[in-house]
Amino acid sequence: MTLKTYTACSMMLLGISRHQSGFFNYNFALYLCTVFSTMTKLLEWLLGASLIGMAWGLVTFDLLDLQLPPQYRELAWPMPVYLLVVFGCYSLATVGYRVATFNDCEDAAKELQAQIKEAKEDLKKKGLKM
Amino acid sequence: RPFINTPQATGADQAVGFGLVGFSLLLFTYYTIWVIVLPFVDSDHVIHSYFLPREYSVILPGVAALILLLCVGTFIGVITWKNRKPKKVD
Repeated sequence: MTLKTYTACSMMLLGISRHQSGFFNYNFALYLCTVFSTMTKLLEWLLGASLIGMAWGLVTFDLLDLQLPPQYRELAWPMPVYLLVVFGCYSLATVGYRVATFNDCEDAAKELQAQIKEAKEDLKKKGLKM
Repeated sequence: RPFINTPQATGADQAVGFGLVGFSLLLFTYYTIWVIVLPFVDSDHVIHSYFLPREYSVILPGVAALILLLCVGTFIGVITWKNRKPKKVD
């Protein structure tokens, strides 16, 4: 978060909290500003994930009685499993593609094996136990 | 010594790799149609006969994940069992 964003955010929150009575609100606003300005990547991800999770929960369990069309509700409830399966498919495809386009150098591999054998024999001669 | 041969994956590697890519594409297409397209298709269309009821679109991946976890756990257990070293007797 840049300094400008932090300043704007804190001024907004302090302005809101001053209208309400109480020392407690002012402190809470300050605390929120500190949390938002020192947010780590983990906290950002957790915040984003929990927001998306809450949106999904609202749609699936109809907590706000929004009365969406039934097709959209049917679409929403398998979403977490669907995203996991899509992520799994993408991982599998990436691994498969990288295996298929791997630059395998057989000559270099054989040369390396010969050098390892040579080194082992040399060290055995010098007394190193394998 | 000049590097003359062009590096390339061997035949078996390519077959397995592209097989995995093809399988995951098929799985993605089938699952996407099942979860995203079918709710917007009329319930008397013939395409619905190619897909199981909607509950299975959540149950089957769950069961598959459980089986995968079981396999991974068994593998780790077998390897740990094989590598256990007997305690030294003083």
